[in-house]
Amino acid sequence: MPGPHDHAKSWLTRIAALPRTGKVRILNVCGGHERTITHSGMRTALPDDIELIPGPGCPVCICPEEDIYDAIQLALNEDVMLVAFGDMLRVPVNVPKREPRSLEQAKAAGAGIQPIATPAAAAAIARAHPDRQVVFFAAGFETTMAPVAAMLAEGVPDNLSVLLSGRLTWPAVAMLLDSGEAAFDALVAPGHVATVMGADEWQFVPQQHGLPCAVAGFTPASLLAAFHSILGQLHRRQPALDNCYPESVTAGGNSLAKSVLARVMRVTDAKWRGIGMIPASGFTLQPAYSAHDARRRFISKTTAANNPAKEARKRIGEMPPGCDCAAVVLGKISPTQCALYGRACTPRDPVGPCMVSDEGACRIWWANGMRADATGRKPDIDAARA
Amino acid sequence: MSYITLAHGNGGRLMRELIDEVFAPPLNSPLLDTGADAVALPIDTANHEIMLTTDGFTVSPLEFPGGDIGSLAVNGTVNDLAVAGATPLYLSLAVIIEEGFALETLRRIVQSIANAAAAAGVQVVCGDTKVVPRGQGGGIYITTTGIGQRSASLAPAIHNIRDGDAILVSGPVGDHGIAVMLAREQFGLRGDVRSDCRSVLTLAQALLPLFGLRFMRDPTRGGLATVLNEISLATGFGAVIDESAVPVRESVRSVCEILGYDPLYLACEGQIVAVVAPESATEALRIWRSTDRGHDARIIGRVTSAHRQVIQTTGIGGQRVIEELEDDPLPRIC
Repeated sequence: MPGPHDHAKSWLTRIAALPRTGKVRILNVCGGHERTITHSGMRTALPDDIELIPGPGCPVCICPEEDIYDAIQLALNEDVMLVAFGDMLRVPVNVPKREPRSLEQAKAAGAGIQPIATPAAAAAIARAHPDRQVVFFAAGFETTMAPVAAMLAEGVPDNLSVLLSGRLTWPAVAMLLDSGEAAFDALVAPGHVATVMGADEWQFVPQQHGLPCAVAGFTPASLLAAFHSILGQLHRRQPALDNCYPESVTAGGNSLAKSVLARVMRVTDAKWRGIGMIPASGFTLQPAYSAHDARRRFISKTTAANNPAKEARKRIGEMPPGCDCAAVVLGKISPTQCALYGRACTPRDPVGPCMVSDEGACRIWWANGMRADATGRKPDIDAARA
Repeated sequence: MSYITLAHGNGGRLMRELIDEVFAPPLNSPLLDTGADAVALPIDTANHEIMLTTDGFTVSPLEFPGGDIGSLAVNGTVNDLAVAGATPLYLSLAVIIEEGFALETLRRIVQSIANAAAAAGVQVVCGDTKVVPRGQGGGIYITTTGIGQRSASLAPAIHNIRDGDAILVSGPVGDHGIAVMLAREQFGLRGDVRSDCRSVLTLAQALLPLFGLRFMRDPTRGGLATVLNEISLATGFGAVIDESAVPVRESVRSVCEILGYDPLYLACEGQIVAVVAPESATEALRIWRSTDRGHDARIIGRVTSAHRQVIQTTGIGGQRVIEELEDDPLPRIC
């Protein structure tokens, strides 16, 4: 009887049968990919010369510190109900010790904050509380921005506004490759993003940078098929863009979602936490939707003039002292190479955002038993060393 | 009288009426004397040890598919006694009710307590009622204390566990955690997952006479992963679990995939994790599967002295470490 993992196992066999071309570093740019890889123990099942590197695939990790600070202040100082994706609640910002440093702490201090899992839930909460101002702190990549745009395009109650912090994935990879500091030999492109925006967004990887690239889905089998494709491209020295998630991804993407996205939001230069400004990498609301912009509705009231503490704050926009999340996000170091990993920084008491989110590489590695061992690339199982 | 008021907790006439009219009749226990300060309990102490356990219960929402806070409060305490090898006999029932609580809801919860107690063969023999001002309680909180008796010769305990022992689970994991989460309707998700809230007494007692039974525990908060880590911590042994052997309902698995939860960490309220000697594993499985609640029982792994961690062999043949739960799971962005 065929088992659910036979497909994945056959890809593992095919990968093992490929001629080796030396050490290969493959970057992924989706927290979902990293979760599947780590959760399935893929690093322990693949040959040792294949290194899988988590990259800039965690929207929580790169969400500007200023935006989270604004969300916290808004929830604390205005009579609003702030809704946000659950994993956003625990991200710490840089504030003096006695102040609430995360939305979770602000909630404990009495601010109206509620976790949600879908953009639709934000509109539903606003409809259920017509007498309250509801602010949706919408952080995320294209996959999240498309449903946020659809929700706004369909029409939302007047009492709902959006604190938008949306980002595009490909510009971060382009920036990394352009910088000459990219520490990877090939790229696995994100399946969900490509479903919306199209696989062709990633053509620049092979065409401009000569690196193999494959779009993958979220099962072990789909990721292994992408790795097999990449290793084959390397062996043949013919980098190209391969679509290993054809059941969901087309070259041009979802044209309806893209047109709604363009109607509601426009692309703008945007800050990435700990990384800085990346050109054309963020979303902002189009003028027609500015009535629902929480920044216009509330934030202007809590600007520097009214809130001297805000601009006196230290390390605005930065990662916390000693935190290497920015290097982890860019795939320059592995989570276990950060000096704080598992010591000062754990999921219970996170320092950097990568230890907070289920999409964050540090959190994913820690939750699956990857400790600060010598290589940091595989789980630290005693028996494996025996 | 359709809502609970502060007067229901003042010790006077309203409180007596509440106890005598709402609590006592459904509970229908011959030993329950609502006028007495304490109750004398017949227990066969010549051949048994007395086992005592207590637990407090809060849940939101109070009623969910497959159960409510009443059945939870009975089964939670009954199950703690059952997995320790005891036969549950008597329960105490302490409730803290919030002012304004609907009497009709209270009646349903008391009936649910009575039904769960009858199903597990225990009597509620004493109780207490307090009322707190509106806004100071989540509707109703319940604490139950349970007394059971156990043959000293049948005493499964964590320190009996040996290298190479087999680990079994009595059925699918994560049903309760997902059912309650869906019932909150907080995340815009709907589903037909029912809580597995029930007494595990039949399952526990079926296994008790088995030579080679080492240990049983019900995986409630923190789920299967937590029980396995507790075993590892207490014994110094590791465990190896086969991912494809752990039973998880498809509906539970898909909600977990959407929200980024791991079913191994979700609460069950009607399952048992058992550790048995390797040569008794097949017999244990046969025994469970022949009960009407253990059809889906599986052998999921084994205890090992080769390491001190809980390792899961994944479906693709990889390995990962099952860590202790760090904090409450929160849904992720995408």
